[in-house]
Amino acid sequence: MGRPVAAEGTHNDAAPPWDYNPSAWSQRIPICVLAMVAFFIATYMALYQWRLIDSVWDPVFGCAATQCVLDSDVSHRMKRWFGIPDAALGAVAYLGDAVFGLAGSTERWRYRPWLVVLFGIDVIPLGGVSAILVFIQTTVLGEWCFLCLVTAVISLILVYWAYDEVWASLLFLRRVWRRSRSARVLWTVFRGGYHPVADAVAREH
Amino acid sequence: MWTRTVEVMLGCWLLVTPFVFRGTEAIGNYTANAVVSGALIIIASTLSFWHPLRLAHLLTLLVALWLAAHGYFSAERPGPPAAQNEITVGLTLLLFAILPSESNKVPVPWRGSRESGRG
Repeated sequence: MGRPVAAEGTHNDAAPPWDYNPSAWSQRIPICVLAMVAFFIATYMALYQWRLIDSVWDPVFGCAATQCVLDSDVSHRMKRWFGIPDAALGAVAYLGDAVFGLAGSTERWRYRPWLVVLFGIDVIPLGGVSAILVFIQTTVLGEWCFLCLVTAVISLILVYWAYDEVWASLLFLRRVWRRSRSARVLWTVFRGGYHPVADAVAREH
Repeated sequence: MWTRTVEVMLGCWLLVTPFVFRGTEAIGNYTANAVVSGALIIIASTLSFWHPLRLAHLLTLLVALWLAAHGYFSAERPGPPAAQNEITVGLTLLLFAILPSESNKVPVPWRGSRESGRG
């Protein structure tokens, strides 16, 4: 492959199909901040499930309702499946949102697609499933948990905020694939390697 | 290199785990694993600061997988506190260990192209 060669045109910060850069810090920092808020809330609920604290604060539905949800059969079953409380697993996932949101340069959508895809997997499917689980759990149990609902809403906001970068990265990979028709080139670019085809695609807007 | 720093901190947490969980159920089964894993993580992450050994953090990735698997399979779930600690720390370590040391910079292979493109 060799060293990259100079080509005509310059790298534009905007990521097609958007007219802005979804990897810019101004786009990613709010995601990280919100994910950390959800991380602290989930950690707080996990501390209760570990019985490191005696009760859980709930200004809307009352402590009893929240504790009913966190101590439910569904919750205990999930603890047997995962080996740790479901809130602790949620806390790790939210921390992942923040960590993967912080990692990478402001051009990672084209230079480190694997990282953006990993970030997308953590935020979008896992966040969606987590939000659905909270709503189902609430519906099945008939009890409402304020902090659970807050984290579910945060999950959905994170999905909305994160999808543009993931979409830009996937479109970039699709353009590389259409230009090269080579799985090897696609893999090289996906894992952050250089290829002239990807370089040309990156300069095309 | 912030990811390596966090890994060192998690390695330190594993080293003190036997003291934190002293007196809890089956702690004896997890003491050696926590200390050895913590030491390996600290060594691997510290070595990653030296450029020729920048990939040493991949050892941390293996240790993280081992910790999560050992905590998960070593006892009937949900396991004792030390087992749950291993799972939680293992999963948390995975988040950091998978990231390259210079994750906030443009990957090395792309740097020349980027500079030339910007003229």
